[in-house]
Amino acid sequence: MESPIATADTSVIEESPVAQVIGDLVADTPAIEAELLIEEISIDGMCGVY
Amino acid sequence: MSVVLESVLEIHPQVAVRPETFGALAYHYGNRRLIFLKHPDVVTVVQSLNSYPDVQSTLSACGVAPERWPSFIAALSSLETSEVVRERQIAS
Repeated sequence: MESPIATADTSVIEESPVAQVIGDLVADTPAIEAELLIEEISIDGMCGVY
Repeated sequence: MSVVLESVLEIHPQVAVRPETFGALAYHYGNRRLIFLKHPDVVTVVQSLNSYPDVQSTLSACGVAPERWPSFIAALSSLETSEVVRERQIAS
């Protein structure tokens, strides 16, 4: 009997434009991490906070 | 000036670093900038800058893997722009 659970066709995923974008993002990991390491926020206008 | 591995930096004396669960908050009392240091490793590096001869030796001493150094250089460059860190002043 055939399994009721469908198996994903990974060949479609690997060749899709989305996979290409994800691959580019993974290759660009250092740049992404740089954004995660620090974040500057503006507190101008927060009267009474400081 | 852009930060490189050979840069000699220190935390700005007008900056307070307060530990938080996500890392730390850095506040500059002069320019009133508030920066989130969003990873414990970057907090360790920033607080260790004064203890080592340059950025590269600081990163090594703090156990930051070389493949992550470009990210830290970029982060330190941003922190220099925000005046959280600065070129180390030689005491006369």
